[in-house]
Amino acid sequence: MNIPQGLFYSSSHEWIKIEGEKVTLGITDFAQHHLGDIVFVEVPELNSEVNVGDSIAVVESVKAVSEIYSPVSGTIIAVNEELEESPELLNEDPYKNYIAVIEVSNEIETEKLMSAKDYEAYCIEEEKK
Amino acid sequence: MLEIINPETDPYYNLALEEHCLQHFDDQDILILWQNVPTVVIGRNQNTLEEINLAYVKEKDIKVVRRLSGGGAVYHDPGNLNFTFIVNDTSGLNRYDFTRFTHPVIKALDKIGIKAEDNGRNDITIGGKKFSGNAQYRQGKRLLHHGTILFDCNLEEMVRALNVSQEKIISKGVKSVRSRVTNIAEHLHEPMNIKLFKEILTQTVFAGQKHEQYKLDGHEREAVLKLKENKYSTWNFIYGSSPPFNVVKKAQFEWGNIKVHLNIKKGLIEDCAIYGDFFAGKDIAELACHLRGIKYQESSLKACLETIDITSFIPSAKREEILELFIK
Repeated sequence: MNIPQGLFYSSSHEWIKIEGEKVTLGITDFAQHHLGDIVFVEVPELNSEVNVGDSIAVVESVKAVSEIYSPVSGTIIAVNEELEESPELLNEDPYKNYIAVIEVSNEIETEKLMSAKDYEAYCIEEEKK
Repeated sequence: MLEIINPETDPYYNLALEEHCLQHFDDQDILILWQNVPTVVIGRNQNTLEEINLAYVKEKDIKVVRRLSGGGAVYHDPGNLNFTFIVNDTSGLNRYDFTRFTHPVIKALDKIGIKAEDNGRNDITIGGKKFSGNAQYRQGKRLLHHGTILFDCNLEEMVRALNVSQEKIISKGVKSVRSRVTNIAEHLHEPMNIKLFKEILTQTVFAGQKHEQYKLDGHEREAVLKLKENKYSTWNFIYGSSPPFNVVKKAQFEWGNIKVHLNIKKGLIEDCAIYGDFFAGKDIAELACHLRGIKYQESSLKACLETIDITSFIPSAKREEILELFIK
């Protein structure tokens, strides 16, 4: 399983990359693997406001429709529109193919997120259950 | 587990009820068994117009409704039994396991001597033919799993309602997969009605546990009705929430051939181009301009075309002909 260093991970299997005020968000390799073939992605509206814990996207796979949650608050400043055309990109490379970029308005609560190492341990636990 | 008793057969109410229960019964495991009047239920990310036979659905007053879960379009009538489980979304890998929800159906059928099995995708089959389609929706800590059970559904009506006209639509939405289907009734060893099968299924689900039942109170019903009015029964949700699509319409009239390309987003005409070999008056692009921003639906198109002097663009054309071109 691919868990890149330097990203932060949520317990609901989203990753974020923090670059100053800019946060890029996507779903993890674990998430895409277990969701199975992804057939549709509803991306967020550009310039919309999001709060911590809000659903910002919806991913439909052959198994389920799942909400994708934002671990940060801010404004959507970019969305990956390619996903509307080619949802399978999330299966191919979920880190390169982000979902949205958020300009954060509050301090990021990184203490509520996991490092690559912690997330790996978390995934191993999940697999055992 | 709590059984929510729901005698309603209005699909807009029933889909709203599912969403209401998903959000308002924290930590409870819930079962709802329900039936609909004849209805086409569209998957969350499907293009409604691509899935239904609009003319037939209108003629027979078949309802059309969108659901929260994904997958393809299905047909319901009173011969179809729907089951909904709402549970906490556990962590771990079994969260993606459908069989914990399909197992009671297989077991109930086993009790009446019918062998059914999971097909490894999202269906339950008898002799390789599908009688139950299943889908899931996850929201935060909660998981909704629902499925259809064809008991003695009118399969001819199903085929007609889901059979799309030959209209050319190009869209990014999720496509339905056609399956060979069967009714449970065809496999019964002794006659049985859907009511009795429902009882057997309920007993199977609650085997070894306390069978608690619940009926929504007035306030809760009120909330469900509000959700029906504001979401499930609206044009915006049923048609307007379709993924963007392009449609091409062609027609041949005495005055020539005409072809329209439409680009529909959120149910509205975003772009329109009209071509043809007819003798034109004013620039036809101007006519196309009038149609931008209009709801892609018969009544809105009609209202819009009525404000336009069609003959100024195509001198020999009748308004009805242009309307026919757009809506047929």
